[in-house]
Amino acid sequence: MELIIPTTVEMAVNVVAFIVLFIFMAKFAFPPITKMLDERANKIRESLEKAEDTRVEAERLLEEYKVQMAEARAEATQVIEQGRKVAESMKVEILAKAREEAEAEKTKAIEAIKAEKSAAVGEIQKQVADLSVAVAGKIIGSSLSRTDHEALIDKYLTEVGSLHEN
Amino acid sequence: MTEKIGHLLHELSVLPFSESAAFSLTNYTFWLLVGIALMIVFFVVASRKASLVPSGIGNLAEAAVDFVRNGIVVDVMGPEGKKYFPFIGTIFFFVLFNNLLGNIPPALPGTGTVGTTFTWAIIVFIVYNGIGIKKVGLGRYIKSFIPSGTPGWLAPLIFLLEIISHLLRPFTLGIRLFANMYAGHIMLGVFAIFAALAIEHFTPVGAIVLPLSFLMQIILRLFELAVAVLQAYIFTILTAVYISGALHAGEH
Repeated sequence: MELIIPTTVEMAVNVVAFIVLFIFMAKFAFPPITKMLDERANKIRESLEKAEDTRVEAERLLEEYKVQMAEARAEATQVIEQGRKVAESMKVEILAKAREEAEAEKTKAIEAIKAEKSAAVGEIQKQVADLSVAVAGKIIGSSLSRTDHEALIDKYLTEVGSLHEN
Repeated sequence: MTEKIGHLLHELSVLPFSESAAFSLTNYTFWLLVGIALMIVFFVVASRKASLVPSGIGNLAEAAVDFVRNGIVVDVMGPEGKKYFPFIGTIFFFVLFNNLLGNIPPALPGTGTVGTTFTWAIIVFIVYNGIGIKKVGLGRYIKSFIPSGTPGWLAPLIFLLEIISHLLRPFTLGIRLFANMYAGHIMLGVFAIFAALAIEHFTPVGAIVLPLSFLMQIILRLFELAVAVLQAYIFTILTAVYISGALHAGEH
């Protein structure tokens, strides 16, 4: 029975022990340790939050860059397409112009040739008329009247013209 | 055998160093003071080594403090219980150091005597009731012993039962720890006696008993280590539960 009856000495020692230990632990032992634990917990939490923020920011930037890339690519495609269109229309235009010019050149040349030809024909007609008149005059000794001459010339010319046309 | 058991029980009983002196330390209080000294040295070293990146003994102390603060105090009382951590932590480490010291021969656990366990249980009793009274006031605290909704004719009986259950707490708290520590040492002593007897009277039976008692010594030592930690935990968590109950006394 005396086993479970506490002795006064032991109880007194323990009361003192409690007071001393409580003061020591509460004032000196626990504060630096709990402070450190809290500090570390805060630090870890902050680091995690920071890491999360950085990750979100990085993702946002990546998304932004992706959008920018897509935009740039679309723009580039558009520019190329536009260039191609411009080139195409220019090609058509240049070709048309060239064709037109060539046509004009050709027409001009034909006109010139025609003019030359008619001039030449005119010249020949005149010379032939003169020659004929001279020849005829020589042959019949200027007996032909002016009217006769002209009728003769016209007849001849018509013949020469039809010859030429064939 | 009987003589040896008697000797063991005598060794484990409270023995003052001097029978004549009015105030003499006992065998248990001697080891109790050794345990307290070790605890103080441990925490002086550990708190000096506290750093953001812990190492060695600082790490151990932090893990233990964190265990009590989060694993017991916050777990039982919630974050607002943190202000009672110094008290609860003091109890945990006091009990733990003394329990563990008792596992190193020839030391006795400072907690292996009712003088210690009962005193600390009474301190817990005074503190938790004090906290409850301070929180809700004496009148409401006493009234909280009768749960609301109790029929009037039952109230006196319930009140009486509550008072008894509260008054029993320091006894159960103190006796549980003491009995565990004391019984553990009795067990260790008994198997040591078996081993000694087997050597003294070496017989075929002794040849079997000797290695078995030796094995039991090893098993019981390991078991006692677990009990030392477990009982410190139980004493502490009950303290936390009592304080928590007192804090919420006015709520039901």
